[in-house]
Amino acid sequence: MSTTATRPARTSGGGTTRRGGGTVAEWLRRPRPPLAPPRWLAVLSTVGAAAALLVVPLVNPSYVNLTVTLVMVWTIVGLGLNLLVGFGGQVSLGHSAFFAIGAYAVAVAGEAGWAQPAALLVAGVVPFVVGYAIGLPALRLHGLQLGLVTLALAMATPAAIRAFEPLTHGSRGIGIDGTPPAWVPLDHDQWVYYLALAAASLGYVVTRRLARGRLGRSFVAVRDAELVAETLGVNTWQTKTRLFATSAAYAGVAGGLYALLLEFVGPENFNLTLSISFVTLIVVGGLATVPGAVLGAIFVQYVPTLTSSISPAATGATYGVVLILFAFFVPHGLAGLARAALGPLVRRVPGRPKA
Amino acid sequence: MLLQQLADGVATGAVYGALALAIVLVYRASRTLNFAQGELALLGAYVSWQLTAWGLPIWAALLVATAALAALSAGVERVLVRPLVRRHQALPLIIVTLGLMIALNAIIGWVWTYQTKEVPALFGSGAVEIGGVAVSRQDVGIVLTVLVVAVALGVLFELTPVGLRMRAAISAPESAELSGISTGRTMTAGWAIAGAVGAVAGTLIAPELFLHPGMMTPVLIYAFAAATLGGLDSPPGALVGGIVVGVIENLAGSYLPHGSDFKQVVALAIIVVVLLVRPQGLLGRREVVRV
Repeated sequence: MSTTATRPARTSGGGTTRRGGGTVAEWLRRPRPPLAPPRWLAVLSTVGAAAALLVVPLVNPSYVNLTVTLVMVWTIVGLGLNLLVGFGGQVSLGHSAFFAIGAYAVAVAGEAGWAQPAALLVAGVVPFVVGYAIGLPALRLHGLQLGLVTLALAMATPAAIRAFEPLTHGSRGIGIDGTPPAWVPLDHDQWVYYLALAAASLGYVVTRRLARGRLGRSFVAVRDAELVAETLGVNTWQTKTRLFATSAAYAGVAGGLYALLLEFVGPENFNLTLSISFVTLIVVGGLATVPGAVLGAIFVQYVPTLTSSISPAATGATYGVVLILFAFFVPHGLAGLARAALGPLVRRVPGRPKA
Repeated sequence: MLLQQLADGVATGAVYGALALAIVLVYRASRTLNFAQGELALLGAYVSWQLTAWGLPIWAALLVATAALAALSAGVERVLVRPLVRRHQALPLIIVTLGLMIALNAIIGWVWTYQTKEVPALFGSGAVEIGGVAVSRQDVGIVLTVLVVAVALGVLFELTPVGLRMRAAISAPESAELSGISTGRTMTAGWAIAGAVGAVAGTLIAPELFLHPGMMTPVLIYAFAAATLGGLDSPPGALVGGIVVGVIENLAGSYLPHGSDFKQVVALAIIVVVLLVRPQGLLGRREVVRV
């Protein structure tokens, strides 16, 4: 609706030369609804993707499983962070802290002899509580200040881990036993893969329901017009705090899986660079889109592998330039591009769209 | 011992204050935080180093670096920042300065490698004794330079027609625009001055911290703490905040257990406490939003 309202004004304002240059940029920038495939196509593609993902770890060598598992770990972070940043409009540069808390929760629970699924649950609960506690005061602040607090949080994380030495063993880190329970006939990499797949699928479905439901709309309302939302009966402060805590829980579970996968945690794994790659993930994938988390996760997993062969600095340079370019030209990210490319095709497929 | 800590704290605090001043100038101009402010200052330090390596005296190198960074910062404002400010896009603006921060840091590492470089101290080596405390000449020089910069900017803002126009453009952009002031130009000027101040701060602190690509990241976070403490829209507040943060950081480093680790947490603690207790900072003005 907003596009039809603004387009005539734009074209009448710009001259012919501007219009020619402006249309590509405008085409990229145009918001688009999610793809609405007919029911049979949606079911078919979901079943196909699920089958493929279930088979992957059985037919691939362990290093492939490792990278695909990492993609799923990043996807979980991205889903949660995108809820906060994309749908909620709150900036967090500090999700590496919650990721670290989840990882250490699994490590410490493992040392205490807990079963891995129970440890993963703790990895979600602790960051939720910490996120809630941080969110209570921090979300009274507006966007910039929250960005500042979370940036400081990300910078303080490795030091804080070293300082809590009795629990975290300081710089030595903690080794984790990631071998599956006796009743599971799988190797370590396959076991963690399936754990990650389960968590990522659950996260994906939950996020989609959140994003499309009443809660998601209240997030967007708070993002776009906080005061209006409040007068319409949305408790903005509570909405924001819950959103922040939920998003922290996603990062925590992902951190727990990461710890199980690498079988080691140390303070230097959780620095500012990690937080920045999370932000890059959601910007590249597409803010306020759910599938964007997957596309962004693939980006942050595989692009550094490509660029590090050029120079150790190339990854940072790529992330930086990509962030700037996407902020300007592709605000809806790869998911937005996919919608633009596939939308016309999907609309032509026969069948009634899913409600 | 305590006096010594205080003196050291004041010297590093002056640099935090200078960088915080740059942050405040940008905030006043564009109502955003420039996360790349530290890396711009780092670039200034590297340009200074490169010029001295080519044989220029350090003071001349500093002048050239300052001018170069002012130009670069103005360019960043013009090309990357202003279109987003005009469209009122707060989130993309944060993403852009964040991207600039990462990109600049990586490019600096690429060009000048990750090895530590030695920048000559502008004020020579050795120490002077002030009131029974030994203070390095560089530290005294840093404090004096930052004071001079602050006074010069104060004069510019408060006593000159240019400064009046800049203040008008900041406090009432629409009215200023109507009375013939180009708010765009004042925004660019704000960024240019911020870039120059940052370059001075970077070059001054480089001999003490040793120049390497990771040098400015902790400084930036302290500068953010300083700017928050002083009030994000108050230049004098930035300086006061910088000194206070510098002193607290030094004391925390020596008197707390795990001191060097807790130093990192100090910035976070200061930012959180200030935002909760007095979000507008010591000398800032409370923002009032009309519905």
